[in-house]
Amino acid sequence: MTAPSSPRGIDPRGPRFTAGVVAVLFLVVIALALLGYGVAALILSIYNAAVFLWGTVAGVQRHPYALFFKAVIKPRLKPPIELEDPTPPTFAQGVGLFVTVVGIALYFVVGPIALVVAGAAAFVAAFLNSVFAYCLGCQIYLLLARAGILGGKGAAAA
Amino acid sequence: MDAGTVALVLVGLVLAATLLGVLHRATQGRARAVSARRNGDARIVSIAGVALGGRATLLQFSTEVCAPCKSTARVLDDLAARTEEVTHVDLDVTHRPELASRYRVLQTPTTLILDADGAVRARIGGAVRRDVVVAELERVLALDRVLAA
Repeated sequence: MTAPSSPRGIDPRGPRFTAGVVAVLFLVVIALALLGYGVAALILSIYNAAVFLWGTVAGVQRHPYALFFKAVIKPRLKPPIELEDPTPPTFAQGVGLFVTVVGIALYFVVGPIALVVAGAAAFVAAFLNSVFAYCLGCQIYLLLARAGILGGKGAAAA
Repeated sequence: MDAGTVALVLVGLVLAATLLGVLHRATQGRARAVSARRNGDARIVSIAGVALGGRATLLQFSTEVCAPCKSTARVLDDLAARTEEVTHVDLDVTHRPELASRYRVLQTPTTLILDADGAVRARIGGAVRRDVVVAELERVLALDRVLAA
């Protein structure tokens, strides 16, 4: 009954590739902050936040890493078994944006350790998403809905 | 912090995340039988506007931002279509968070298997596996037949 793929379905490996790149970048943020290069960690965190913002606003289909995946990697892979709705990974971009921005804001209060903590949280989520196909929206979105923060509309408002 | 310690921290982080992933994956799709006594008033499902199946109901809780909800809906839809008097109901809890609270839904998809009376007999968290649902459904339907005889 359910349509196997909506017309705006995307290759599910795109968001997983994106999450893999993000996970590596957050490891670099943590390393920089711990090695004493706090400003470099801050700049890379701001870059990560900007990319998350792009993914959240433009949708995960137009995410820069997803475009790279589509242009360079996808042609070398077999076609996907099934397509997925872009709404769940776009929501995950919004969660990533939130965590990263909190880390950046706290940097100015407590220093580089804020980037380590926020970076670790973002790394774990991105790593689980990339390697285990963990679905961030499956738990966090539901918690927000139960808390009454969401529910007016179901769109990818993060 | 010196470079060696930082490397250790990063390796530890990757290992911890891997462990989390393995543990999380192990819980997904597992069926848990629900005992008749324990669940109190949440045991009998009655939701306005939802018609239950004659012999069993596959009640799925979903949201829009949930990729495995779609694959789960396909499996349950197909099983319901193949089994007489078994209905698949897919509820979006975004607009009905009180249902998520009443049935203690902590993740989507969550699937409850209800018997003919609408009593919860099994609960599956995460994306379902077809063989697991079939086994649970058979258990519920077989008990039904025993009670009817």
